[in-house]
Amino acid sequence: MQTATILKGRRIVEGCCKAEALVSKRPISFLGGVDPADGKVIEKNHDLCGECIKDKVLCFPHGHGSTVGSYVLYALAKKNLAPKAIVNQIADPVVVVGAIIASIPMVDKIDITKIRTGDLLEVNATKGFVKIISRKVMQARCI
Amino acid sequence: MYLTKEEERIYDGELGWANQICMKILAHLGELFGADKLIPIDSAHISGVSYKTLGDAPSDFLKALAKANAKVQVKATTNPHSIDKGYICRKIPQEMCQKQRTITKTFEKMGLKNTLTCTPYYLEKPKRNSHMAWSESSAVVYANSVLKAWTNREGGPSALAAAIIGKTPNYGMHRTEEREPKAIVTLNTKLKNETEFGALGILLGEILDDKIPAIKGLESASKDDLKQLGAAMASTGMVNMFHLHYDESIRTENLEKINVERKDLIQVSQKLTTSTKKPDLVFIGCPHCSLNEIKRISSLINNKKTKSDVEFWVCTSWHIKEKAGKYADKIEKCGGHIITDTCAVVTWTEKLGIKTIMTNSAKTAHYAPTLNKAETIFTPLENCLKAVLKE
Repeated sequence: MQTATILKGRRIVEGCCKAEALVSKRPISFLGGVDPADGKVIEKNHDLCGECIKDKVLCFPHGHGSTVGSYVLYALAKKNLAPKAIVNQIADPVVVVGAIIASIPMVDKIDITKIRTGDLLEVNATKGFVKIISRKVMQARCI
Repeated sequence: MYLTKEEERIYDGELGWANQICMKILAHLGELFGADKLIPIDSAHISGVSYKTLGDAPSDFLKALAKANAKVQVKATTNPHSIDKGYICRKIPQEMCQKQRTITKTFEKMGLKNTLTCTPYYLEKPKRNSHMAWSESSAVVYANSVLKAWTNREGGPSALAAAIIGKTPNYGMHRTEEREPKAIVTLNTKLKNETEFGALGILLGEILDDKIPAIKGLESASKDDLKQLGAAMASTGMVNMFHLHYDESIRTENLEKINVERKDLIQVSQKLTTSTKKPDLVFIGCPHCSLNEIKRISSLINNKKTKSDVEFWVCTSWHIKEKAGKYADKIEKCGGHIITDTCAVVTWTEKLGIKTIMTNSAKTAHYAPTLNKAETIFTPLENCLKAVLKE
């Protein structure tokens, strides 16, 4: 039987959740990069463009762009469109402030290359770790 | 990071949600950047005011703060917003003006002074060695370098949180040792006008990363020139200050050495011009004009009138406009517009049909292609006036 992988990181905003991962290799700018009306990534040429971040464990290297991007995370949370948790390689002020005001559990210093979109994760931000409960089932390919 | 008993009580929510969330922002950012404690601040300057950049979503948080009776504890001022009081306002949809006014009023409700300028230091000069929490990168560099006040480059939300708590985390530019220069820049050419100072800023921002420079050869620079240098440097880099060489006794042996030649500045200037077309707008006042700059424009106009097919904007704060009196009148009589509370970058120039902007500001020339979807012509004030005034 496969044992669950535990990735240790650092607590930024406390809280726990269990949800599906949505993983990006690229930094995310919340102002202009995510549509506050539906929670979809709208930044052109972004690897998550068109994906909805609602109720996901959003894993990305770090934030970038305008500092008022923090306010967008708050607006998303008010409309129940926010991610369940945020997992970063390295925390930056825009995302940290956003996670605080929107009360989104957040950890950083996690090697997000170990996580794949669709994996079921348990995030314990209070203790600062992410547990990969189950891997996304890869669909059998017909050859 | 150490919090006092009183700060802990605020963190735990004893003074209500607004204070709690602001304390959390400061404490978490402090932890992130390795601060040891919170320190009192004299003032805060808040960016993120323009509806053009904010859009609809962010004002939810500001409204929630105001509704929860958040009040600033120190003198707090606001950056430019997206409209002026007349000229621009009449030309754009009233619904957008109304949305902007709602945001601006929210700040007022929290006790901020709506200075609506990126040069709050002209209204009240910060005290030397005083600690502040300022956003607006051009003002941060000017305050640290020219006025010798101490501030990190805050974001809009962290500056607002600092204003409401009256404190900021003690890290970065608030510590003497972190204000030391890490690079020494030698100018092997004499800078002749404001655009060359701007070009130098763009160049240094790109190559310095976050290393504070000491710049040799700025001895004869005016404060207005240094304002252009700092604004440009902050547009392309993460540097929060520069040292004027004559001002410090600096040990140079371990510093990175950078030499700047005339050809480097010419190369940067050329890149800041994207068009050879005639401009739709000639824009002076990024950062907002000082009284001296307005006097200079006024004296160079010389009773000439503006051309009918080119807009002429001189942007400043309402405070400087009031002070400028007859000098401002002269600019308006020639056909120019003294525009307060906003600037070309934070208002909707596209909606006014402006496709090409001529400016003497390196910061505007750097941002206008993306923020205004405009072509740019970067040239000194005298050339700007030649382009907009009739012979």
